[in-house]
Amino acid sequence: MLPYWTPVALSRDLAPLVVMPVVVDGAELALWRSASGRIAAWADRCPHRGMRLSHGFVRGEALSCIYHGWSYAQSGQCQRIPAHPDLEPPEAIRVPVHRAMESGGVIWVALAEPAALPPALAGLVPLRSVTLDAPFDPAAAGLAESGGAWRGTLAGVAVAVLVQPLPENRCVLHVLADGAATPAALVDASRGVETLRRQAEEALA
Amino acid sequence: MILYDYVLSPDCYKIRLLAALTGAKLTLRAVDFHPGGEHRSPAFLAINPAGTIPVMQDASLTLTDSAAILTYVAARSGPAWLGDDTPEMRARVALWLAFAQRLSASIGKARTHDMLQKPADIVACRKAGVQCLREIEAALVERHLMGDAFLAGNRPTLADIACFPHSMLAPDGGISVDAYPAIRLWTRAIRALPGFVEMPGIHRLHDLKPEPAGVQA
Repeated sequence: MLPYWTPVALSRDLAPLVVMPVVVDGAELALWRSASGRIAAWADRCPHRGMRLSHGFVRGEALSCIYHGWSYAQSGQCQRIPAHPDLEPPEAIRVPVHRAMESGGVIWVALAEPAALPPALAGLVPLRSVTLDAPFDPAAAGLAESGGAWRGTLAGVAVAVLVQPLPENRCVLHVLADGAATPAALVDASRGVETLRRQAEEALA
Repeated sequence: MILYDYVLSPDCYKIRLLAALTGAKLTLRAVDFHPGGEHRSPAFLAINPAGTIPVMQDASLTLTDSAAILTYVAARSGPAWLGDDTPEMRARVALWLAFAQRLSASIGKARTHDMLQKPADIVACRKAGVQCLREIEAALVERHLMGDAFLAGNRPTLADIACFPHSMLAPDGGISVDAYPAIRLWTRAIRALPGFVEMPGIHRLHDLKPEPAGVQA
C-alpha cells in the first residue's frame, strides 16, 4: 500500500449526493459526498452481497447499496437493513474506510499513513479529469515537475497535471489551470488535454 | 399520438421520456422486438418498411425516425424543448440530434449484441462508443466553462434527451461509464427533472426521495 496521497477526482466533480468509483493502487473504491459535504472513500463492495457501492445512492449522511438498500453511516458501520427494520445491524457489518481529504480543489485518498501533505496548488482552478488508455509521459507533453505536480502550458494556458495511475497501463490526469485565464482560454486548454491524450494513446499503438 | 414501442429500446425510451417531461399523452403499442421479431412482420412493415422502432402515428402523419418524433412531440407539447433561444442553441440541438445516430450505431449495437445476441463487430462498436462518450464529455466540459449545464445551452433541450439514454446504458454493451465525471453530473441533472420516468437500466435518483418507512410484516 502506497504511503502517499493519490489524486482521485476534482472536488467540483463530486457534488453533494454523488458517489463514483475510483481506483487507488489497484484497489476499487467508492468515493462519495454526503448532503452536508463530507467526503468518504470506501471499499467498493457491499458486505451483504458484494454489489459495488458506487452503484448506490447517498441519502443525507449515509450511503445505501442499490441492491437491497442496506445503508452505511460515515464510519462505514451498517445502520439500517430495510428488510429487517427492527434489527440493530451487528457491528461486524462494516465497510472498510480509507483516508480521504480535499486540498487545492482536488480529492486525495491514501491507503497507508501518508508521509507528506498533497502539493500546494495556489492560483489554479480545476479544469477537468480525463482517463488515458495509455501511460502518461510528462516530458513528451512538455511538462516538468515542480512542487509535486507536472507543470507547463496547454494552448498557452499555465496548467498543473496530477497523475492517478490505473491498472493495465492506464491513468487519469487531473488537470488544473491558471485561475486568471478566460473561459474561452480554458476551453482551448481543455482541447489541449484532448490532444495530449490522443498523443499518449497513439504513442502506445 | 400512437408510439410503436419496445421497453428496452433507448430510442423508444427517449420518446416516452420527452412525453413525460412535456405532459404529452402517448398511446403505446408494444412491439415484440425480441424474441418475437415483430418489427419484421408483414403488419409492421406495412407501417414502416424499414422495420425499425420507434414509429409514431398521429392522424395522417407517420414518423419512423426518433429525431423526427422528438421534434414533433416537442413542437406539439413543449416547444421550449426545441431549443430555439438563439441560433447557436438551435444549431447545437440539430448537432446532437444527428450525433445520437452515432450513439445508436455504436453503443446501441454493442448493447443489442450483448443483451439480445444480435450480430455486430463488438470490438469496433465499443471503440466507437468510447469515442462518442469522450466527445459528449468534452462538450459538457466546454459548456460548463462557458456557464451552461446542458448540451445545447443553459437549460435542457432535445439535445439532452437524444443523447441521455445511450450515455446511461453503455455498460449494457460492455462500455464503462466510470471515466466521465461531466457525463455523471449531466445525467444526474436530467434524472432530477420534474416528471422524469425510468426504463430498465436507468433508475430515478433515490436520493431525492425520503427514506421509505419500514415495511410491516
